[in-house]
Amino acid sequence: MNRRSFAGFVAPSVLAMLLLILLPLLGTAWLSLHESYVKTELAEVQTSVPLFGGMSRVEVRRVPQAVRDAAGIPVRVWNFVGLDNYANVLSLDRLRQALVTLSDATPGWGWQFYRDVTSIEFWGALEFSLLYIAATTPCVLLLGFAIALAVDATSRRVRGALIFASLLPFIITPVVGALSIYWLFLDNAVVNAALQGLGFAKFYFLSGAVPIRALIVLYGVWHATPFAFVVLYAGLQTLPQDALEAALVDGATAWQRLRFVIVPHLAPLFAFVGLIHVMDAYRVFEPVLVFGSNLYANSLQYMTYRILNSEDNYSKAAAASLLTVLGIVVLLIPILRRLWRERQAA
Amino acid sequence: MKRLLPMAAGLVALLGAASAYAACSISGSGDVSTLSNAFPVLEAIAGAMRECTGGPVKVTTKLTTENSAETTQALKAAKSPYGLVALTNGTITPAQAAGQLRPLNDFVAKYKAKYNIEDGMLIKFGNDVMAIAFQVNAQHLFYRKDILDAAGIAPPASYDEMLAAAEKLKATAGIEFPISGTYKSGWNLAEEFVNNYLGMGGAFFKDGTAEPAFNNALAIKTLDVMKRLVGYMSPNALALDTGASAQQFMQGQVAMGNMWASRAANMDDPAQSKVVGKIAFAAAPIITPGGKPATTLWWDGWAIPKNFDGDPELAFQVMMEGLKEDVVRANNDVAIWTRSVYKPGRFAIGTAASARAGAPPYPMVPQQSLAHDAIGEHIGAFLAGQASAEKVLADATASYIAAAKAKGLLK
Repeated sequence: MNRRSFAGFVAPSVLAMLLLILLPLLGTAWLSLHESYVKTELAEVQTSVPLFGGMSRVEVRRVPQAVRDAAGIPVRVWNFVGLDNYANVLSLDRLRQALVTLSDATPGWGWQFYRDVTSIEFWGALEFSLLYIAATTPCVLLLGFAIALAVDATSRRVRGALIFASLLPFIITPVVGALSIYWLFLDNAVVNAALQGLGFAKFYFLSGAVPIRALIVLYGVWHATPFAFVVLYAGLQTLPQDALEAALVDGATAWQRLRFVIVPHLAPLFAFVGLIHVMDAYRVFEPVLVFGSNLYANSLQYMTYRILNSEDNYSKAAAASLLTVLGIVVLLIPILRRLWRERQAA
Repeated sequence: MKRLLPMAAGLVALLGAASAYAACSISGSGDVSTLSNAFPVLEAIAGAMRECTGGPVKVTTKLTTENSAETTQALKAAKSPYGLVALTNGTITPAQAAGQLRPLNDFVAKYKAKYNIEDGMLIKFGNDVMAIAFQVNAQHLFYRKDILDAAGIAPPASYDEMLAAAEKLKATAGIEFPISGTYKSGWNLAEEFVNNYLGMGGAFFKDGTAEPAFNNALAIKTLDVMKRLVGYMSPNALALDTGASAQQFMQGQVAMGNMWASRAANMDDPAQSKVVGKIAFAAAPIITPGGKPATTLWWDGWAIPKNFDGDPELAFQVMMEGLKEDVVRANNDVAIWTRSVYKPGRFAIGTAASARAGAPPYPMVPQQSLAHDAIGEHIGAFLAGQASAEKVLADATASYIAAAKAKGLLK
């Protein structure tokens, strides 16, 4: 293909990437370097609100009110603040404090330091996001592979139904899935009722960080395994039959065939599923919204949502989301390097 | 034909239900979209608003529990796609302070007679009417009359009495966790802190400024009472949202607690409650001797965004069609309406008693929502035993200061 026609073919996707990825990213970066708010001044305001049955309450207070220009339009402040928003998200001042207390090294200082740092919003959110990736990724890959092997071994007649059933958790809207799991594990809900029916004591699944984090991981595995399953199942359909037969003739056991023929054949797919899952898991949001609301488990994505909506601060939320993007890049470097090396070798 | 019959029957039923109110009569043309939270009274109002669709007018209603986030975005945008947004004392103040709402005085004057707009419905800042309120809501005492009567316990008027009652029920009635509360870490927990800290006589800001003043001995005392209450709640309490807490009442697991008035009607709904008729209501408990009930009074209402991309007069008429007296009459018990045609029933007892005993409205200053958020982010760690009261209050204050500075409310 000559250069001209190559350029012609890739131009639409390059244009789409510029418009839909690079431009918003640059816009977010621009936003993150500024602060923006409506300028206010304290003014005496009388408010009147209804209480009940015709009663109402009148109060006079000094309240921040918008400063208006000559045309009566609220004045908006837009200042360049450099990296202040980033320092704010990272809570650099509180991090420094934790480092200062580190200097008086008493027994157990390492754990204390870890607790101090993870009690800061960003670092706590980063901690759980990474824990979530570390806990879910191997489970998703192994379980997905096991289900793929199992479905592959069934007769053709039931396979369609099995594939459909296995895909269901992936189809359900994440927040609905997370809520369902939350409802299952409430005080007197299905799981506890079943456990008590079997003679076990009541267990409080939402009573602390450990059980709540375990439930979030459970949700993550339940939700993401179908993706691993469907990709690996497709891979199993492309197994080289001659290699498998040759292994059989050589007297390879089922385990040896799995270990030396099937798994190596699927290796690129494992890498692909792992890559996508790590990216997805790093942005875990819905179960944290439903279960944790940051006391027991926080995530970077939830933190960004909170800054945007509760603090109503676009610029700081932009800084938080760019730090998230940066984190994904750092996480993916080892996987991408591996893929690159394999490509070179091939 | 066989299939058509039930469909036609359903359609007739639907039309029948809809025409419980007199038909919508408004003038003008264009589209009006509404944005609100989703709970029963708002569904009734939205239904009446949609009646106005026809001819040159089209009304669409969006009800979502994420409405406060969406409202913030709509009000900030260059043009708001929504002609009507539902607001509360908590959410109106930042919007009003930033000049994002359209004053409604002219429309109120013009349509006062047609819709009988009462003074008790007007939310005023100075002389400007900024919203029309349709209901009041508050957290107040819900208790199991049967259980308390059997144990010879009077309905608790204070948290000290509630704690004593809980101890007695635990010892004699075998109820391990007799108290329920809307204590989910985050917004709900902060709301209970606001209730209790104001009930204690505390103030959130130095008088007439946005300087924080909630890191003090009163706040520590407030947190201590809350921690003692948590000791009698399910170990899951800090992760239970309002819905899950209401569920504890309806399943008969708990004997008392501070719960939203808007959930009262659910308690007597046989489709979801096992304790129909057994729950009684009273004023929120006091937290300190001689104090006011530890709760805050909320209102819910509608406002018109200043940046609305349509005809505000049409939007106002749609609003008032949703709030007309017929709608109140047809849905008397789903809310504590602000209109005088409303007949207070047993579900209004707790709110009325709290208001009469002097419970304050939720603070209507724009910095309150930032303080609320910062408090909700941090005090859970104290109640879960992870940090001291002093530390979480200091952390909450630091978070508030950072957030308020970024909004230009503090220097």
